[in-house]
Amino acid sequence: MKRGLLIAGRLILGAIFVYAAWAKLRLPWIDFAGALNAFEILPESALEPIARTLPWCELALGAALISGIWQRWFGLIASLLLAFFFSVMLRSYLVGLKIDCGCFGPGEALGPKTLARDFSMLVLAIVVTVASFRVRRRPPPTTAEPVIA
Amino acid sequence: MRTLLLLLPALILSGQTTPAPKAAATVKTASMTKAPAAPSRDYKESGSPTATVEIDAYTDYECPHCARFFKDFMPQFSADYIQTGKIKFVHRDFPLPMHPHAQLAARFADAAGEVSPSLYDVVVDQIFKTQNTWSVNAPDGRGTGDIDAEVAKVVPPGAMQKIRELVKSDPRIDASVSKDVGMAMNLDHVPSTPTIVVISKGKREVISSIMELPYNSFKKYLDEKIAGQ
Repeated sequence: MKRGLLIAGRLILGAIFVYAAWAKLRLPWIDFAGALNAFEILPESALEPIARTLPWCELALGAALISGIWQRWFGLIASLLLAFFFSVMLRSYLVGLKIDCGCFGPGEALGPKTLARDFSMLVLAIVVTVASFRVRRRPPPTTAEPVIA
Repeated sequence: MRTLLLLLPALILSGQTTPAPKAAATVKTASMTKAPAAPSRDYKESGSPTATVEIDAYTDYECPHCARFFKDFMPQFSADYIQTGKIKFVHRDFPLPMHPHAQLAARFADAAGEVSPSLYDVVVDQIFKTQNTWSVNAPDGRGTGDIDAEVAKVVPPGAMQKIRELVKSDPRIDASVSKDVGMAMNLDHVPSTPTIVVISKGKREVISSIMELPYNSFKKYLDEKIAGQ
């Protein structure tokens, strides 16, 4: 049962990353560069390389989560990435920036709704990661009959 | 002779009344067929008509970001790409439903373009410059809504009268705005204003974050597009 929930959580998380990547890749990189610049944390020189590569990284991460390979480590990477995204979004919201979230393409304003959604994704990623480590560490159940002396 | 005298008023009356609907019909037909038949350039277009890269800009006259787009972005962009003929530029109307005066403002700008293409840019500029007076972005939160008064400040009286007549009832104005709105919603799926669409090699690339971009980053992107043709 727990293993089934872990798989479901991992697949949902992977699908979210794939969708986020697709939403960015279907638009020109320059549009995502503008969304990134709105957060006012990156130097201008970093906009193009990050705008060009981050969606592909999200796609690879999503595919890895769906496939289940090295799920503990990809779960951990997803958690760290989402924690970073959430902290940047929270900071931007608190300083009063009226900008787009940029999470799933344009046209979605940064606000309580997007913050709550990203926070729930972060919680899901942490749960998947912790559960993956626990499942891995648990010793396999033995089927051998006890030896009677 | 008497019959002729008797018939004269009837002929005059008939001359006054019957041709009127015909004349109206002729005018209507002319106005409806004028747009496709006219070989002249659309007043919303500027730059080189044969450029391989086209940029369409969707704006809403009551949107503050669009006013900033025209004030901060357009002068440099125009000098670099429109006046040099590197691109073809098309300004498109996308009045958003949340802005009560945006549609009327678009009608004034388009009517000015119909009266004289050279007036279009003047009126667009004036509408954006005075946005804080007539729009919901005014300090009182409502604005005067009196776009006519602001436009009249930069247009000669004769032309202004023609603009007013077109704004009132000319179907070309409705058609022009509707065409742009249709393109924004069905073709380019514009999420917000201002949004620009870069068209090259038949591909349309929608950029809605144009106001967040450093100008040099956009310039680099556009130069690559132009060089890649």
